[in-house]
Amino acid sequence: MAQPRISAYLPPDIDPTKAPLAFGRRALPKLNEELRSPELLTQQRALMALCDLVHDPEKVYQAIALGFLDNLKTLLVHHDQTVRQKTTEVLSIVALHSIGRQGLIQTGVISALTELLDDPVDICRKNTHRIFDMMAKLPEGAGGVLRAGLIPPLVLKLKTELDEIQELILDTLSNCLRVEVSEALAAGAVTVLKEKLSHPSTAIRSKAAWVLLEISSHAEGKVAVCEEGVIPALVSLLEDTQPEVQVSTTGALMFAAVTPQGRSSAMGAEAIPPLLKLVAEETSKARLNAIKTLTLLAELPEGRQTLLDHRDTFQRCLDDRSEAVQRAAQIAITVIEWKP
Amino acid sequence: MVPTMVPIRAPELDVPYSFCSQPRSLLPRPKYREQSNAAETEKGPRRYGNIMIDPRVVRGNALSLRLLPESTQPSTPEVKKQRKAQKKLQARKLTQEQIRTGTPEPVEGREHVHVQTELYLEEISDRIIEVDGECQTDEFLDRPPTPLFIPAKTGKDVATQIEEGELFDFDIEVKPILEVLIGKTVEQALLEVMEEEELAQLWSHQRAFAELRNAEFAELQRLEEQDRRIREEKERRRLEHLEKLRKQKETAEKVAARAFAQRYLADLIPSVFNNLYDRGFFYDPIERDIETEFLPWLMSEVEETLQKKVLGRVMLDSLIRTVVEKRLDEFSHPPPSNQTEAPAEEPRATDAAPQASGEADAADQPV
Repeated sequence: MAQPRISAYLPPDIDPTKAPLAFGRRALPKLNEELRSPELLTQQRALMALCDLVHDPEKVYQAIALGFLDNLKTLLVHHDQTVRQKTTEVLSIVALHSIGRQGLIQTGVISALTELLDDPVDICRKNTHRIFDMMAKLPEGAGGVLRAGLIPPLVLKLKTELDEIQELILDTLSNCLRVEVSEALAAGAVTVLKEKLSHPSTAIRSKAAWVLLEISSHAEGKVAVCEEGVIPALVSLLEDTQPEVQVSTTGALMFAAVTPQGRSSAMGAEAIPPLLKLVAEETSKARLNAIKTLTLLAELPEGRQTLLDHRDTFQRCLDDRSEAVQRAAQIAITVIEWKP
Repeated sequence: MVPTMVPIRAPELDVPYSFCSQPRSLLPRPKYREQSNAAETEKGPRRYGNIMIDPRVVRGNALSLRLLPESTQPSTPEVKKQRKAQKKLQARKLTQEQIRTGTPEPVEGREHVHVQTELYLEEISDRIIEVDGECQTDEFLDRPPTPLFIPAKTGKDVATQIEEGELFDFDIEVKPILEVLIGKTVEQALLEVMEEEELAQLWSHQRAFAELRNAEFAELQRLEEQDRRIREEKERRRLEHLEKLRKQKETAEKVAARAFAQRYLADLIPSVFNNLYDRGFFYDPIERDIETEFLPWLMSEVEETLQKKVLGRVMLDSLIRTVVEKRLDEFSHPPPSNQTEAPAEEPRATDAAPQASGEADAADQPV
C-alpha cells in the first residue's frame, strides 16, 4: 500500500549528470572504479557525484583510505576541462577537512597542482589556488608549498591574475612567508606588494599589507622593506577608512619599525599622528597594533618627545575590554616615561 | 489379445482395489547363472530391471494374434505312445553308441519332457501387413504475424469516472510531500551554510589569534631590539671604560718611568765625571809629562847601568868558573888525597863567588 512517507534516499535518476550511487559502503569503491574508466561521460558523472559526497567528513575519511587521491591526481592533467574543474573542486573540498589535508600532503598532490597554475580555465585556477590557500594554513602544508617551489610562480602570478585569485594568492603567500621569506624576497615580492597597496579593492589592499607584515616579521624581510621604501607607502595607507586595511597596515608598520632604520624612516614619514588617531578610536580593531607601533617609535628620542604630550590617550586605553590592549598600553606608557 | 471387456464392477468405496495377483516388479534376470561373489558384492543393491530390455516381456506388434502354447501336461495317449517309441529308439541308440552327455537327470519330483517346438511355431501367414509411410513437413514459410486475438466480447460494459475530490484531497495529501521536499532542501542549505559559517568562525578565530600573536611577536622583537641596543651600548661603554683604564695605566706608567729616569739620570753627570776622573782622563800635564817621559828614560838608564853591572858579574862568574874547572881538572888527576880538598875547595870557591857577587850587589844598592 502506498504510504506518504518518502524514503531517505533520493530516487535513482533524479539528476542525470551524476553517477548513481551504490548502496552504503559500496558507493565510494564503485565511484573509484568509475573514475578509472576510459569513457569520458562515466568519469564526469562520477566526479559530479563525488563532489557532493565529500562534504561529509566520514566519506572523506573513507575516500582517502580507498586511495581516491591517486586517481584524482592522474585526472588533474586530463584534457577535458570539466573533468579538471570538477577534480579541482573535489580536491578543494577535501582540503577543507583536516584528514583531507594530511592525505593531500602525503600523496604529493601539491606538486601535481603546480601544472594547473597556467590552466586556461578560470575556475580550475581558482580552485587550485583555493587548495593552496587551505594547505598553507597548516604548518606542514606551508612547508609542502615551499618545498614545491611555488613561491616564485605565485609572486609572478600576482601581477597578472584576476582579483579573486589574487586574494587567494595573497592569503597563501602570507601563510607561507610566515615560515620562510628568502625565496619571496629573491623573486621581488616586496615590489609587487608595494604596487598592490594602492589597489582599488579593499580586500587586496588589506591582504597585501598582511603579507608585508609577515615578510617584515623576519630579519631579512625588515631590511628589504626598509630598502624598498615601503614604509612611506604604508604610512599613507594608514589614512584608509576600512578597518581590515588599518589592521594590516599597522601590523606591517609594527614589525618594520623594530629595526632602527625602519623606525627612523617611519618617523620621517610622519607616522605618529595617524597612529594616534587610530589609538584614540575606542572600537578600532587596529588599536593593539597601533599602540605597539607607537611603543616602538617612542624608543626614539624625538618620538618620546612627541608622545609625552599624548599620554592621556594611552591612559584611556587602559580601560579597554581586551586584556592585550591594556597590557600594550601599560608597556607603552612605561616606554614613554623612561628616562635614560 | 482378444479384447475382453473388463468386468465393470461397481466401485466399492470401502474396499480398496485388489489385484488378482499382486503386482510385483521383477528383479532383473541374471545374464549368467553362476556369478562370483565378488561380482555380486560389487553390484550392490539389486535394482529393478529395465522392462524395455527384459527378454521375458512380449514385444512386437501389440495387435498381432498370439496364440498361447498348448498345455504342457502330457494328456493324450497317442502322445504317450509316440514317446515310448521314441524312447526305445533312443535306448537303442544309447546302447549302441557311447553314452553321450545329455541333459542331466531330472531333479526329484520333476520330469524332463521332450518338447518340440513345432507345436509352437506360428506361421507368419498371420503377419499383419505393414506399410511404411513417410511424411515430411514443408519448409517453413514466412508466417504472417498472427492477427491480434481479440476474444469475443463477453460480459457487460461498465464505465467509471473519478471525479475531482473523490480519491483524495490534494492539499492535505501534498503536505507531507512538500514538508519533506522543503525540509530536505532547507536541511541541505543549512548544512552548507553551517559549513561555511564554521569555516568563517575558524578563520576569524585564527585571525584574532594571529593578531595577538603578531602583537606579541612585535613586542618580542621590540624587546629583543631594545635588549640588543642596550647590550651593544653596554659593550661599547665597557670597551670605552677599558680603553680609559688602559690609557690611565699607560699614563701612570709613563709618569713613573719619567720620574725614575729623571732620578736615575740625576747623578749621571757627577758619576760620569767621577768615572772619568778615576780613569784618569783629567790629568795634570806636567805630572803626565814627567810620568810619561822622564821616568821611562830614568828607568831605561837604570836598567842599562844594572845590565852593565850584571854583565860584569857574569864575566866574573865565568872567569871564576873557568878557573875552578881548570883547577878541578888539575886536581882530579892527582892522587885521591886531594879529593877531599877539591870538593872542599869547590864549595869554598863557589861560596866565595856568590859572596863576592853579593858584595857587589850590596855595593850597587845604596846607589
